[in-house]
Amino acid sequence: MTEDRLQFGGRSFASRLIHGTGKFPSPEVLAAAIAASGAELITLAVRRLHLDGDRRSELAAVDLSAHTLLPNTAGASSAEESVRLARLGRAAGLSDLVKVEVVGDPETLLPDPQETLRATAQLVAEGFTVLPYSSDDVALCLALARAGAAAVMPGAAPIGSTLGVLNPHNLRAIIARCPVPVIVDAGLGAPSEAARVMEWGAAGVLVNTAIAHARDPEAMARAFAAAVSAGRAAHLAGPAADAPAGGYGASSPTVGMPTPAGAGS
Amino acid sequence: MSPTRAESAPSATGASRRARLREARLYLVTDDATPEERLPELVSEAVRGGVQVVQLRRKQASPEELHQLAQRCRDRAREGGALFLVDDYPELALEVDADGVHLGQDDLDPTRARQLLGPECLIGLSTHDRDQARAAVRRPVDYISAGPVHATPTKPGRPPVGLAYVSEAARLARVPVVAIGGLGPGEAGAAVRAGADMVGVVRALCSAPDPGALALRLRREIEGAARWTRLVVNGEERRVPPGCTAEELLASLGVGERRAVVERNGEILEQAHLARVRLAEADRLEIVHLVGGGCCD
Repeated sequence: MTEDRLQFGGRSFASRLIHGTGKFPSPEVLAAAIAASGAELITLAVRRLHLDGDRRSELAAVDLSAHTLLPNTAGASSAEESVRLARLGRAAGLSDLVKVEVVGDPETLLPDPQETLRATAQLVAEGFTVLPYSSDDVALCLALARAGAAAVMPGAAPIGSTLGVLNPHNLRAIIARCPVPVIVDAGLGAPSEAARVMEWGAAGVLVNTAIAHARDPEAMARAFAAAVSAGRAAHLAGPAADAPAGGYGASSPTVGMPTPAGAGS
Repeated sequence: MSPTRAESAPSATGASRRARLREARLYLVTDDATPEERLPELVSEAVRGGVQVVQLRRKQASPEELHQLAQRCRDRAREGGALFLVDDYPELALEVDADGVHLGQDDLDPTRARQLLGPECLIGLSTHDRDQARAAVRRPVDYISAGPVHATPTKPGRPPVGLAYVSEAARLARVPVVAIGGLGPGEAGAAVRAGADMVGVVRALCSAPDPGALALRLRREIEGAARWTRLVVNGEERRVPPGCTAEELLASLGVGERRAVVERNGEILEQAHLARVRLAEADRLEIVHLVGGGCCD
């Protein structure tokens, strides 16, 4: 049997946990957490360099060359801003991977669906391997996949909320329906929740705040890594209580629909 | 009783004052030796010759004399389209509706002066070394002076800093830089080539038999000297010597080792091209790198 790996965009990874790099108490704690998580992919933001003095980078203790960098477009509120940040991130990270993030609401940080879709299509056309962060919307995730996203990253809950899986039905439907890998991003609060979405068949999870704000981030990173592995193993084992995949029967009959006007005959 | 800002005639806005300051090249500071009755005429002649900023500096005048003189010099400066600043006293600047105030390192703190003056008035600050130039970056000042370039009787006991400090201040400052201190004809162009935006002149103009003619000569010398290139880097104004490349800018900013990306007027510069790209006036540069974080930080 071939090794079970996370695959998208012609790449593959042994770890299905993607590690965020924000809000950690110190560069050392961040580096220890990343090491404990076993994550190969880490997300980074694109920001102006501080030109005054020598402020220490929060990434100072992380060996970036040992990881695959996934630059994100956090901070963008339009497709154009996201595309610009993606290009800068590609130039800085020397990689064509990008996690598209376009915030549509500054309070909840929930993504803007139309701008996310536009940015994804544009960046795919420019040759990027695009992983869009999206809301837990089945139709949107399908549209993103059609636009060429290498994987989709629906949120379990708003970014930074650690509320866990707010809409399990939507996430399960996305996992069932999407032709590309589904990486659950944002809002996970505990390893059990990561295990749960992995059991459903998610290809991976991205975790930041739940690790960064834990009392012991390094130990929590290890716990998430174990949960992701356990959930994946359970998925591959085929849970006995798996819900039937087949969608929900519509309450209105779908036969006998009038032909759209102008469709001929 | 001094009039408040609300009672006085509408002043120029801060934006228009700052725009004029950015384009100014020749800056007159009055001396104590010129007789009081001669001073307004001196201002008129110097402004007609090409002085664009006039700073009234009379260390030995009484407050009443200074107030009178300020009103008269202000009118003469404005007639010729020059900005009018007073030395040391923000209250006087308000009373006579000056365009701003110039402060020394030992005068009122610029932050406190800004509270008194509001956002529309110009504030200038004298600097004499790198630490002061660096500190000025985060103060609410609209220009800095760098000097004294040469030893001067205007500032007895202050060691000259030379043109090397003018260049240093030009690299550090985010606002226009006035080179000052013993500068006269034959030296104004060198000050500009060293990085000054403006040349400040005290004695040479005040003691000239024909201040207008000398001002014209100084302006010609200044305009004929290659000015440093002004850029906007990460949203802040910076100056670099003419012909400076993107690579040299990164080196001067100490960015060398960090994996930075330079975007110039919306176009990302390839690393291999940095040494060949010469920066041009008004270029907008963004220097970015990858940092920890995502949406939530």
